[in-house]
This record gives sequence, structure tokens and C-alpha cells, in this order.
Amino acid sequence: MRRIMTALALIICTFALVTSTAAQAPRALVVQTGTEPPGLDLTATPATATAAVVFYNIQESLVKVDAHGKIVPWLAERWHTADNRNYTFFLKKGVRFHNGRELKAADVKFVIERAMNPETKHPHTAHYAAIGDIIVTDDYTITFSLKAPSANFLLTMARSGSVIYPKEAVDTLKSAPVGTGPFMLADWVRGDRIVLKRRADYHVKGLPKVEQVTFRFIADPNAALAALKSGDIDASLFGLGPEHVTDLKKDGRFAVIIGETTNDVIMAMNNSRKPFTDVRVRRAITHAINKPDVVKLAMFGMGRVIGSNVDPLNPYFVDVAAAVAHDPARAKKLLAEAGYPGGFETVLKVAPQYYYTVRAGEVIADQLAKVGVKVKIEQIEWGQWLSRVYKEADYDLTIIGHGEAWDIGNYANPKYYFRYDSAKFQDLFKQSEVTIDDKARREQYAQMQKMLAEDAPVVFLFIHPRLAAAKKGVTGFWKDLPTPSADLSEVGWSTSR
Amino acid sequence: MKRYVVRRVAAFAVTLFFVSAVVFVVVRVLPGDPAELILGTEGNPETLERLRRSLGLDRPLPVQYVEWLAGAVRGDLGTSIQYDVPVGRLIVSRLPVTLPLTLLAAGFMIAVAVPLGVYAATRYRRTADYLAMVVSQLGIAVPSFWSGLLLILFFSVQLGWFRSGGFEGWASGVWPGVKSLLLPALALGLFQAAVLVRATRSAVLDVMREDFVRTARAKGLTERRVIALHTLRNALIPIITVIGLQLGQLMAGSIVLESVFSLPGLGRLALGAITARDLPVVQGVTLFVAGSIVFINFAVDLAYVLVDPRIGYET
Repeated sequence: MRRIMTALALIICTFALVTSTAAQAPRALVVQTGTEPPGLDLTATPATATAAVVFYNIQESLVKVDAHGKIVPWLAERWHTADNRNYTFFLKKGVRFHNGRELKAADVKFVIERAMNPETKHPHTAHYAAIGDIIVTDDYTITFSLKAPSANFLLTMARSGSVIYPKEAVDTLKSAPVGTGPFMLADWVRGDRIVLKRRADYHVKGLPKVEQVTFRFIADPNAALAALKSGDIDASLFGLGPEHVTDLKKDGRFAVIIGETTNDVIMAMNNSRKPFTDVRVRRAITHAINKPDVVKLAMFGMGRVIGSNVDPLNPYFVDVAAAVAHDPARAKKLLAEAGYPGGFETVLKVAPQYYYTVRAGEVIADQLAKVGVKVKIEQIEWGQWLSRVYKEADYDLTIIGHGEAWDIGNYANPKYYFRYDSAKFQDLFKQSEVTIDDKARREQYAQMQKMLAEDAPVVFLFIHPRLAAAKKGVTGFWKDLPTPSADLSEVGWSTSR
Repeated sequence: MKRYVVRRVAAFAVTLFFVSAVVFVVVRVLPGDPAELILGTEGNPETLERLRRSLGLDRPLPVQYVEWLAGAVRGDLGTSIQYDVPVGRLIVSRLPVTLPLTLLAAGFMIAVAVPLGVYAATRYRRTADYLAMVVSQLGIAVPSFWSGLLLILFFSVQLGWFRSGGFEGWASGVWPGVKSLLLPALALGLFQAAVLVRATRSAVLDVMREDFVRTARAKGLTERRVIALHTLRNALIPIITVIGLQLGQLMAGSIVLESVFSLPGLGRLALGAITARDLPVVQGVTLFVAGSIVFINFAVDLAYVLVDPRIGYET
């Protein structure tokens, strides 16, 4: 009897041990990202690959763009402005950098003054041009005095180029960034992975939820899919194509994330080159393109059709997708009016590094042929695209996604590669930059969007969706990407797993 | 022999000099520079110019080249723009992946192809010969990235025996390291093995028609001895030549396979550096690979002496 009781007790103990192990959620996470960051210094590169790893995970800013695109207090617990010229930020007390030192107002002053300095490699010193004086009142209070009211000041402070780091770590930002984020850089095996470790004293209680996060660089989407299916990674964050997501949707082991981004895919027309100097031709091209078909054929139906520059995650978004609708007859009429009754020949340059540009290009070439516009597709390497198309505007047509949020100002820059030069639009944009009243500014943004839809400097095609997938049981990913970060602070494993 | 070695070393230096000059010019003639790629679509002319200046790209090309060459001679290949790490250290850090990968692939290639080629030759125009030729034709026809993906699908996704990619590192032991490299080595070696089977078969067939083989058979030697001692040894010169060339091709082929299997090797380093126009890395890696290939050719030349005593390098 005693033996039976002992055996029973052993079985119960083993069972209890097994079940307790099963209930315990894993504490580490392996995620895939497509591109290895070209250095980890957010103040030296605008690369989204760097922001994806570093922004919000290792380094943070005074204010944060949250999962819904709203600017919320972060390292500053609140801010105050009475006249929209003097912004005072009140820092959270007890926030520590990874090196153990407490964040003080002097650090913020150092970081922003460095960002303003044209001698540094900061890619966006112009964003800080409005700042006049920076006054440190005490360790936790800092005031920015602007030369003139700037509607974008808070947005500038929320950008990845405004992350706060300790002065003593400025020389190692590129390879060993130090910040206030939920994770610390533990290892960067060049060419393979970046490992982040949880910090115990993060300033948001209860976060982060996992002990370790590994970003593995897998560029090939098919390889990323295989890694996910074989269990080598827990989530694929960047790089999956619509076909991979469609495949994963059918697999019960995975949860697919399809969300909005700020990446507006456009077909730019060189506004300084004939025949695209004529607005009738640009409108004709827009009328000739069946955007829902482009999304259906190039993106497996994933992606929201747009009609203007501002993305749906922007609070000033106005849906003008139907403003210049698909109408081949009207396109032919407009072409005839512009002096091209038989159409014309043109070249479309695309960079295969971004798969959707080639696919969308093929669909569009076919659609334009139906109104007599013969498109020759030329595929060029990304470096060449940047040099020839972006820098020198040596192109007729090109397709690309613009991931930057709040980038309507590009249309107010006649030297930008669109070469769109409208004094009216430039005035409107200039006004919007100094209009503080939200209602008035919203109206200006609505006007700008409508103007762009009608002037058709480019064909606004679709928003490239966020396409990601994770093992079932991994929770806490952002659905939409209003900012290029892959914030993993709230990501963890559900205990029911 | 001494004079021969000195001559080869001099040729080695001249080759590397030319390779470095050509790569230097070609990489810079290509449209797009590192500054443009760093800033992407967020660059404006002023920021671009500032960044170019800080990267030293605004100086005249000959000045940049001479400076780089002077550093290279001292063993300093510059610093990676992308990683901010000395290029020499970056290359050394990638060798523990690429070198074993190439050697594994070469080992697989030789172990499979040479016996199969010899066997096919001995079964000339018989079923086994035709079968070997069909299989090798298939091996040549399938691109290595495709066979790599098929191997991942079967062994990683379906069977779960291997990781689908990535490198465990040697720190966790020899077997985990080798395990990470087995599938890519197989995919890499497959194509070259298929080529080597054909080369071996034709080399062995040529020798089998020689008089001394007939004499060996007439002496009453067993077929096994005829093949092993007389035929294969005499056929080795062309086989070694092909293997030497293939070792270089295996290194080049690793660029594709390292990408498919996400291995942090030299090939992937080169590919990433070209895409990002990380000029010091492109130059450093090319120089290293060119040096390795020249060295392999040199080793092949020396191997001839071991295989065939009639060959000498005295004159």
C-alpha cells in the first residue's frame, strides 16, 4: 500500500511540475526584420531599419506617437504652452538611462542643441530651426523658446531624431546606443542579429513583458516565411509580401497583422518634363489608372486606395480617393485636349528592391496602354534610383512608397524630385506651418489634400499595408504603424499558451 | 622552385593592385553614393553635401585611392561606413561562417562527384552512366538558391530537423555550428558537384583510352587497381584544375546562399555593402576574395607537382 501511495505521490508531483512548466510563458522573443540597421544612431540616419530596432525599444523621446498616431507625454510627464512659442516640459522624475544615471533637463538641452548643430550628421537639423533658446529651469523643467510659432514643434520632439541619450554616451551611439528605453542593447552580431535585454528599472511599471528580444535579419521574404513556419522565429515584422500573409492566414498556428502605415505608394510624374508639365496629361494619367485593380493585382487586395498625400493615420486625413476616379474615356479626351490624341511613349523607372513597385508598374503599364500611353518599364537598382530619379529628377515616371509621416511639405518644394511648382500650394503650406489653431489648420490640410488630388502632381495609388505575422499566443504588437518603430515594450506571451 | 614562388608572389601583388584599382573605380562610377543611401528619400541637397563631406567623399578620387592604398599596404582597410567597425575586423569576424561553409561544400562536392564521375566512366554508355549524367544535368539546371529553398522547405519546415537559417555560432559547440551550415553547404555544393561529375567522367574516359591502361589490364591487374592506380592518378591533373576553379566559384556562390539561409558570412557582407555603397567594405572584401582565389590557384599549381612528378617549376 505504501508503495502504491509513493507511486501516486510521485505521479502527482510530476504532473504538477509538468503543468506548472506548461503554464509558464516563455520569457524570450525572436522577431524577424528585413533589413539590418545601417548603424544604430537615430541622430545620424533616417533609416527605418534603425528606427525599427532602436526607437521606443532602446531610446525614447520627451513625447511619443502612440499606437493610434496621437502625441502623448512620455519622458516628459506633461508639457505646457500659453502662447505656442514657449513650450515648457516637466520631466518624469526617477527615469534612468541604461548606464544608471538619472535623466535630467541638462541632457535634453544637450541632445536638442546637438540636433540643431549643422556640424553633426543629423539628417534633419532643419526640423529644429524654429528653436531659439533652450532654458533649463531646474533638473526636471526645461523650456524651448521658439523664434516663431511652429505647428510642428511637438511632432519634431516626437520624431526619432529627438531621442534623449546621456551626454557621456554620444560617441557610441552608432554601435552601442544608450537610452531610457525598456530594453538595453546586449549584443549586435553584425549580419545576423541584435539582442536586447529587459531592464528591471524601466520607468513604466510592469513593462517590458519579456526578458529578451532578438531581432534576426532575414531579408528574403520566403526565408522569413520558412523561419516562421519552422518555428525559428516567433514573429515576422517587416518584409512579408501579401502572398506570404495570404498563405499564413490559412495556417492556424499564426496570427496575421494587417494594419495601416504612413507609407503612401505613388507614381510620380516629372512635372518639369513634357508632357507631364501639362496638368491635363497628369489628370488623364490618373483617370486612366484603375487603383482598386492595382491593389488587387499587385497587392492581393491588401492596401487602401488613396487620392492624396496625407495618410489615414494622420488626424488631418481627408478621403479624396474618389476625386479623380477611374475613367478611361475622360483620360482619352484630356489627352486629346492636351495635344496627344494618339497617346505618347514614356519610361517608368522602378527599383525591384521594393517588390510592389515592379508589380504595380506592370499593372499600370497595361492600364495606360488602353488610353494610348505606351510605358516602357526600366528596372534600376536602389542606389541608382536615389541618384538618378530622386536626386537628379532624371525620369518620366517612377513608383515608390514614401514612408515619412507628415511629408506634405515635399509638394511645396519645387526642387523635390516631383518638380511640382505651385505658388498657391506653397503659400497654403507655409500658412499651415504657423497656424496653431487646430480647426483652422485642419481646414488648410483639407484644402491642400484636395488641391493635390486635382493638380495631380503624382498619382496617389495606395497605402502599403503593415504586413506582419506572429505565432498565436504572442500578444501586444501594434496593429498600425503611425511611426516606423517596432515598439516591443508591451509584447509578450499569453499565459494561456 | 624558389624563383617560381617569387614570381608568383610578385604576380599576386600586381593582381591585387589591379583588382583594387578596378573595384575602387567601378564602385565609385556607379550612380548612388553612401551619403545618398544613408539619407534615402529624406535627404536634401544641403544635408547630403554635409554628409558627403563628413564621409570624405568630396575629395578627388585619386586622393581617396592613394590614401586607401597606403592604409591597405599597412594592413588597414579602413572603417565600415555602415557598421563603424574596422573592415579587417569585419572580414575576420565573417570567416568562421564562410570558410567552413565553403570547405563543407567543397568536401561534399569532392566526396560525391569524384567517385560518381569515375563510376560513370567505368560504366561508359551503360545505364549507370546515363543515370549519373541525367542526375548531374539536373544538378546543373537547378539554381543553388532554388535548391536551398527546397532544402529549407523539406528539412526545416516539414521535418524540423534543421534550422531554416541563421548561424548558431561555434561558441555553443562544433555540432550546432556544423548543423547550421549543412543545408547551405549541400545547396552550394550540389551545382558544383554536378559540374565536377562530368569533368571527372570525361577526364577518366580520356585516360582509359591510353595505351598504358591497356598494358595494365594486359598485365592482369584487377579493374579496381587499374582504375585506382593508373587511370585516376593520371586523370587527376584536369580534375584538380576544375576543383581549383570551383573553390573560387564556391566562395562567389556563397553570396546567394548566405542570403537565402541568412548566414552572417562574407558573401552577405559583400552584398549588403554593395547595396549600401559601403565602399571600404566592398573594397576590402573584394580584395580578400581576389587574394584567396589567386592563392587557391597558386596552391593548385603546387599540387600538380605532388600529383605528377614530371611537372617541375625549376625553369
